[in-house]
Amino acid sequence: MTPRFIDWIWHIRGNVALAPGQSSEEAFERLSPLFQEINTSHERTDDTLTFRKKKQAPQDKMSIFDWGILAIEPGVDGSTLRYHLTSRALLACFLAPFLFLAIGAATVGIGTLEKPPTAEAKKEAEAAEKKLAAVPMNPIDKFLGAPEPEKPDEKKKKEEAEKAKAANGKDKKKEEEEKKGPSPTPAYVFAGIFATLYVGGRILEDWLIKRLFRKRLAGA
Amino acid sequence: MDGVRVGNRIIGADSPVTVGWENIPKVEGGPFKRAFFTWFQPTMLLALVAFWYYAPNDIAKASTAIWIGIGVKLFMMALEVMSPRHTSWNITWKELVTDLFYVGISYTLVRLAGKYFGDDAMIELIRNAFDWSTFAWFVALPLLLQAFLISFIFDFGQYWMHRGMHNWHPLWLTHAPHHYITQLNVHKGAVGNPVELFLIGLGIGGFFDFLPRAALLAGSLGLAVGIYQHINVRFNSPSWWRFLFNTTEHHSVHHSQDYEGSRSNYSGTWIIIDRMFGTCVDGEAELLGMEGGRRMSVGETMVYPFTEGWRSFKERFGRREPVAVPAE
Repeated sequence: MTPRFIDWIWHIRGNVALAPGQSSEEAFERLSPLFQEINTSHERTDDTLTFRKKKQAPQDKMSIFDWGILAIEPGVDGSTLRYHLTSRALLACFLAPFLFLAIGAATVGIGTLEKPPTAEAKKEAEAAEKKLAAVPMNPIDKFLGAPEPEKPDEKKKKEEAEKAKAANGKDKKKEEEEKKGPSPTPAYVFAGIFATLYVGGRILEDWLIKRLFRKRLAGA
Repeated sequence: MDGVRVGNRIIGADSPVTVGWENIPKVEGGPFKRAFFTWFQPTMLLALVAFWYYAPNDIAKASTAIWIGIGVKLFMMALEVMSPRHTSWNITWKELVTDLFYVGISYTLVRLAGKYFGDDAMIELIRNAFDWSTFAWFVALPLLLQAFLISFIFDFGQYWMHRGMHNWHPLWLTHAPHHYITQLNVHKGAVGNPVELFLIGLGIGGFFDFLPRAALLAGSLGLAVGIYQHINVRFNSPSWWRFLFNTTEHHSVHHSQDYEGSRSNYSGTWIIIDRMFGTCVDGEAELLGMEGGRRMSVGETMVYPFTEGWRSFKERFGRREPVAVPAE
């Protein structure tokens, strides 16, 4: 049994008031198309319905839920549909940021093992770049006004100026990161995206399922 | 189902496929809407090409391309919500999360693998052993021709890799999970086993890093055309566009539940390559996927090439049980 204080991550609970005089039989009859979807099984007693879904089709209105129990409870002001649904999709989305944080950490780790290019390799690359830079721009591109490619000497000067700036200021950290190889930033960005998607999804799906049950019970 | 004869093949015998541009619905609505969905694709292509052609050197960088790519994708997501092609392909929260998971894996783990074992590593080796002066003739070509050649050669390689995946069982095992998608949305191109994403990413694209502007122009062709492969938006693409470029319609046939339909339209950008090799089918399909539209879970997608590979291996090389023959 999962403690209630954490199971809200992937459990959705709620209730919808039935119209005055609406019986459990009628309410479940109206909800029944939701449980006729492909790969869905359900069991019903007089006032309770339990369902299970596997490999849900994307357009199944309840595709994010894998299991759930719906019960009609009588009350002083009329009957109420209470539901308790679980979703592995919500749980997976909640855990996804941790996976991407781990990938980010692993990327940093791999980067520390990478050796910076040797002076000889750098020289070869610069010489190759110079050879190609000596090729004149095509006359058609000149005529159409495309910018001239940057000369390797100008590029080098610019890079050196940037390096000097970095050594003096706050960009030092950035420069160090560049030296260490692949960037972990995409992994951290995706961790942030999934955290946002989880919060959005937890609120949205809670609202959508309530709206769906309410609409179905009203016969819409 | 009877299907329609296209060349030597019958398309649509297993599952509905609409063949022929004249049979495909057009965007409905007011004159502004129709004009927008007719001219949007060529205008965006022209705008991107003009931008990369004239952008100053300080702006013509890979980082700018990444931001433009993100912006275009967000805009396409908005178009999907505003004007869907099929309501049965509408994006849901779960579909979006699943799609973005694969995008995330491809931006992180697959890129990392590419850097150390894939095309980046191979290109590094080739570049170190290359006499650059022999390449000067290419650099002297007009920029747009350079860009076209980069894009076409890259797509030509992808065409054969993709066709190979549909014709050779070990490669098919890596590609099959991508064919379990049951709808097309902006990020569906990333859905699949990471091994496939790694293989399909193998190419000569990175080889042209030393020609930044031509490579960026070629990339913009990929973005302005390739993005429509997996998207739930209907466009009235001009006929010349449909003749030259891959479209959502072409790619929906490739993903259809029809076996022969799925063996067509392999290219990523230039559908003309399919026309050259007789694998192009002009048409569209709504019912997509495999096994009657079964949705493959993330877990199964990750292990499918290995579990299915092992099963196929055992079937082929495993010990066969003697078949019991009933006594006469």
